[in-house]
Amino acid sequence: MLTDRREPGIETFLQVVIFGVLRSGLYSLTSVGLALAVGVVGIVNFAHGEFLMLGAFLGYWLFVSYGLDPLVAIPIGAAVVFLLGAGVYRLGIQRVLRAPELNQMLLTFGISIFLQNLAIILWGGDPRVATVSYKANAVSLGALTVGVPQLVVFGLAMGLTLSLYGVLGGTRIGKAMRAVAQNRLGASLLGIEVDRIYLLAFGLSTALAGTAGMMITLQLSVSPFIGLLYTLKAFAIIVIAGLGNINGVIYASLVLGLSEAFVEFYVPQGGGWAEGVFFFLILLVLLVRPRGLFR
Amino acid sequence: MSGRRLGRALLGAAVIAAALLPLAFERTQPYYVQLAINVLIFATLALSWDLLARTGQLSLAHAAFYGLGAYTSVLLTTRAGVPIPLGIAAGGVVAAAVAVLLGFLTLRLRGIYFAIATLAFTETLRVITNQLPFTGRATGLIAPALLGGQRAAQYLLILGILVMLVVVSWWINRSRWHFAFIAIRTNEEVAAVMGVDVVRFKVLAFAISAFFAGVVGAYYAHVFLFISPLEVYSLAVSVGALVAPIFGGLYTTAGPLIGAVVLRAGEEVLRSTVGSGYPIIYGFLLAVVILYMPRGLAGLWAAATARLSRRRPMREVHAG
Repeated sequence: MLTDRREPGIETFLQVVIFGVLRSGLYSLTSVGLALAVGVVGIVNFAHGEFLMLGAFLGYWLFVSYGLDPLVAIPIGAAVVFLLGAGVYRLGIQRVLRAPELNQMLLTFGISIFLQNLAIILWGGDPRVATVSYKANAVSLGALTVGVPQLVVFGLAMGLTLSLYGVLGGTRIGKAMRAVAQNRLGASLLGIEVDRIYLLAFGLSTALAGTAGMMITLQLSVSPFIGLLYTLKAFAIIVIAGLGNINGVIYASLVLGLSEAFVEFYVPQGGGWAEGVFFFLILLVLLVRPRGLFR
Repeated sequence: MSGRRLGRALLGAAVIAAALLPLAFERTQPYYVQLAINVLIFATLALSWDLLARTGQLSLAHAAFYGLGAYTSVLLTTRAGVPIPLGIAAGGVVAAAVAVLLGFLTLRLRGIYFAIATLAFTETLRVITNQLPFTGRATGLIAPALLGGQRAAQYLLILGILVMLVVVSWWINRSRWHFAFIAIRTNEEVAAVMGVDVVRFKVLAFAISAFFAGVVGAYYAHVFLFISPLEVYSLAVSVGALVAPIFGGLYTTAGPLIGAVVLRAGEEVLRSTVGSGYPIIYGFLLAVVILYMPRGLAGLWAAATARLSRRRPMREVHAG
């Protein structure tokens, strides 16, 4: 994090922009998963961040126990979290698809509390750090420096987000998901197995969160408490994008990442205010333009 | 009929006896009095949350009003020399006033949007409190003791607050408000067309609900003598306030109270057996209740008594 305040200038400005853009990568990947759950399945999943937290723990344990680099282990983590998400869908979510919205929300809320405390019971509440060999590496571009893990994570996360857009836009399964999102009944009349699509979409949504979690292992510490913050930030982003609007997520992530970086750097005591940025944004967007900014 | 009346009288006597029971332990087991105070704080939060839920608004801002009440009272009593009881009342009034403002702002938002907005509001208050110089920032504030720190007297006070709330809740469920609330939560447009002043009832419910949350937050501060943003503006407060009514039975007076007592007692047992991570039970119960018993304990009770007396269970419109 940025704690030292340097003299203002164009270099500082560029550095802040870079920090903001870099952090928006993970935000995109996390939020695009939540947007998928909201847009396709119609479930506002309060437990989204807990799947991210479980992914982070998976990344941590695979690294500590088998020396697997979290980035290499991403396919394993994504698969495990996908199965977990699919299980949660079958056991719980599936039963409330037609229930009132509030019941759906409360159920995912319950799942969130359950998973978080399960992690506390299993692994304790202390933060853990996985120290990969390149953790402190950085590349310099003139006066600007960028951490290697941050750069790699940004590239991977953005790549995955964009390839999800590709899947939704270009493949049969992606088109089926979009059809179900638009009209459940219409899609089923066309012969699309709606329930299977829901299962896939929800599993994929949690797997994306899990993948983001594995990437977090590279940069930050892992604890059972990290989930909620990411759930809330992902909410902020999909509210800014417009609930269910998957394409707006990247722009909304940039809005959040950049606003946080600017507040952190240019506002006195910015570190404290930055953690509130996403709430101000949620409140602002909901009150001024509840449809979202990018629609 | 007289048999039923006798039953009710006995039930009433039992409730009063149970409510006064903790006082018997004041000398020998002071811990029980403190636990009982905790239970009643929790019950007051739960029932006041339920008042708002009756209009169909699922709020995650209960911690916000709890915290506002606590900070208002502590700041007034320590900085302005206001007597504590007045400070507690002021805490309730400030919370209610803020609820009216928030109510008008979030009026258009429904369901999930309302929940997210109220959660965002709570966290915004926490961040602001963390940053302001006169609120003690993240460290928190020390609060003066209520009633000279006498636990028995403190217990009677929270009991009195809860009784007031129960009367309000009971009156609402017996008055024309009851039908207005049901109409609003079932279908707002239809309710408006039928002549229900939706704005007025929603904002009123928000204000009353927040008033009690503010009072109980202020009470909490002066009983446990310390508040911090992380603690009073915690999501755990809002979640506790909503799990108890859902578990006990939404939209009733008894449901949230029973839910609060059962959950708080269960929490105490789990805290000593499971240790950290005990809130897992809240998650589990929330999921189970939503999936298998959408009307909570009160619903199970109603179904059981209906089966006993061979009557059809009372049908009511509810969220489950």
